[in-house]
Amino acid sequence: MERLLQVIFNGLSLGSIYALLALGLVVVYRGTGHLNFAQGEMALTGAYLTWQFDQWGIPLLLAALLAMVCGFVLGAATEFFLVRPLGKKSPFAVFVATIALFLGLNSLDGAIWGGEAKAYPSFFPNKPDDFMRVFGAEWRYERFGVLVVVLALTGVFFLLFKRTKLGLAMRAVASNPDSAKLVGIPTNLVLMTSWGLAAAVGVLGGSLVASVNTNINQGTMIVIFIAASAAATLGGFDSPGGAVLSGLFIGVIEVGAADYFPEWIGQDLRILPAFIIILAVLLFKPAGLFGSARVERV
Amino acid sequence: MITIRENSAGHWAIRGVGAALLIAFVMWVPTMDYAGIGQVNDALIIALGAMALNLVLGYTGQISIGHSAFFGIGAYATAILVKKYEWSPGWTFFAGAAVAFVIGAVVALPALRIKGIYLALVTLSIAFMFPKIVGWRKLEWLTKGQSGYDSVRYDKLPDWPLVGPFPKGQQGRAEFQFWLSVVVMTVGYLVIRGVVRSRIGRSLVAVRDNETAAAVMGIRLASTKTLVFGVSAAVCATAGSLSALRTGTVTPESPNIQVLGSIIFLVAMIIGGTATLWGPIVGGFLYFYLERRLGDWSESGPLEFLFGWSKTSPATMIFAILLITLMFVAPFGIVGLAKRWSRKVISIVPAPVSTTVNTNAPVAPATPS
Repeated sequence: MERLLQVIFNGLSLGSIYALLALGLVVVYRGTGHLNFAQGEMALTGAYLTWQFDQWGIPLLLAALLAMVCGFVLGAATEFFLVRPLGKKSPFAVFVATIALFLGLNSLDGAIWGGEAKAYPSFFPNKPDDFMRVFGAEWRYERFGVLVVVLALTGVFFLLFKRTKLGLAMRAVASNPDSAKLVGIPTNLVLMTSWGLAAAVGVLGGSLVASVNTNINQGTMIVIFIAASAAATLGGFDSPGGAVLSGLFIGVIEVGAADYFPEWIGQDLRILPAFIIILAVLLFKPAGLFGSARVERV
Repeated sequence: MITIRENSAGHWAIRGVGAALLIAFVMWVPTMDYAGIGQVNDALIIALGAMALNLVLGYTGQISIGHSAFFGIGAYATAILVKKYEWSPGWTFFAGAAVAFVIGAVVALPALRIKGIYLALVTLSIAFMFPKIVGWRKLEWLTKGQSGYDSVRYDKLPDWPLVGPFPKGQQGRAEFQFWLSVVVMTVGYLVIRGVVRSRIGRSLVAVRDNETAAAVMGIRLASTKTLVFGVSAAVCATAGSLSALRTGTVTPESPNIQVLGSIIFLVAMIIGGTATLWGPIVGGFLYFYLERRLGDWSESGPLEFLFGWSKTSPATMIFAILLITLMFVAPFGIVGLAKRWSRKVISIVPAPVSTTVNTNAPVAPATPS
């Protein structure tokens, strides 16, 4: 029981970060129909910015907020300068551009901040005895904090989708861009905002990952991005709720696999069971669990 | 602008000059020292991987980021068969290619159902898992875990006619490896050319351009995709076998076996020219040599004023800028661009069908006016 609780709790905390990045991927995909391969590296750049602002003496929370603003600008600029003009040419060109951005941002971070790992400040108390006991399982404050922050942000995101004019516009653009334009929605502005928002939540995710790891290096976000994209795949690329649920699910499966089968799976292969489940699901539901199958016109 | 008929004397002259240049290059490489030949060998390996990827991505439009895994299958097949089962290295190419063909076809099974980014992400996760699986403790009896295999090579170099006998030591090994690469490249090129220029190749392009329309026109999507994934994986595996013999070491950390390998093949293919036969070869060489030089040029050289501040080698960043620029100005890469420009100077037109006029055919009588 203790062990199960521990696994579930650590898994949810890890999965919440996947969920956050997956949500960003889904928001971008629903809007523009492209997968942003650079989502993880945008988050990495933002996390480095948080670190840099913190080094300059700006309080950590403010530093993270500033970095999120920078992330928003980066995401919006990507949509404006790359995705929009290239999208008119071919989806393949956008795919290549996001791959190039993935490589370029990663290399840029290395060029600016160097290849070696940097110690990262923690957002939450993380001394060895900073935990509470619930039914015998250790709930560390930092992990609990990550989970709470991410779930709160996800809630805000859903309110934004369902309750605000911007959310309505985003849904309209996602469902039919041409009609949305006809009824007077500034489609381009909405798309730029979606890319910006996705990058901004990614930056927060990246900063939280680095904070839990207590350090940051060029490779920090690659694994996280792969898991987040797996979550978006499992949930279905046009379903924000599906992305969040699958992110949490993958986190729990991953931690559980490593904990219950240390001999067979262990730390190295811990994400393998999740991938196998995803492959199996895709064979039966190619559009993911909560995604809707697309009808194509010829 | 000059217009030349297809298969006319002029056309054959152009082909002759091209072939002569290619042969001159191939004959020139072994005269370098072993370090120089080694670099050419590395470039050829990237080129072969990019060629394999081009078949799936360039011609068929199925995004695969999983080719580093197929590359790894070839490398591991060679290492395991040579070191553990004491095969002669030459035969391991066929074994590696066969295994990769089967696995590639199996990977294509989900590809029949899922498309676009879903496929890209499935292949990405396969590429991500491959090094972890071969480094797995439970597979140590086969793959030797994290430490992997070393000194995978021919114990005694075979004596090849025409190009042999090879000198002793590193020089001989490098020369032999080069000729081996040339043979494998030629076979790989001919296989891909055969697929692309045939009926299958045209159906691949149809699948790429509009899958539903292709299916409606009678193309069997399932067998076409399975075949093309299998062939591509097999070709990529031979690149892996080459690299195992070239470096002698195969570990989960080998650069082209990691996810990065898939991306290197992708970058080489795009720079050279997507959906062109020679693009990946040109791209492989460009990628390899630029990647080596750019770091030095930025530290102290022509690019210092731009990237002198960089703490690490900015090569990847420059490639990223190059890729984005290419997408704007030349989406079909350098070879695609060269083709378009050369068409402005010399255009090769198919010979008119009626050049072999049947003089005995009845001529339509002139209508009386």
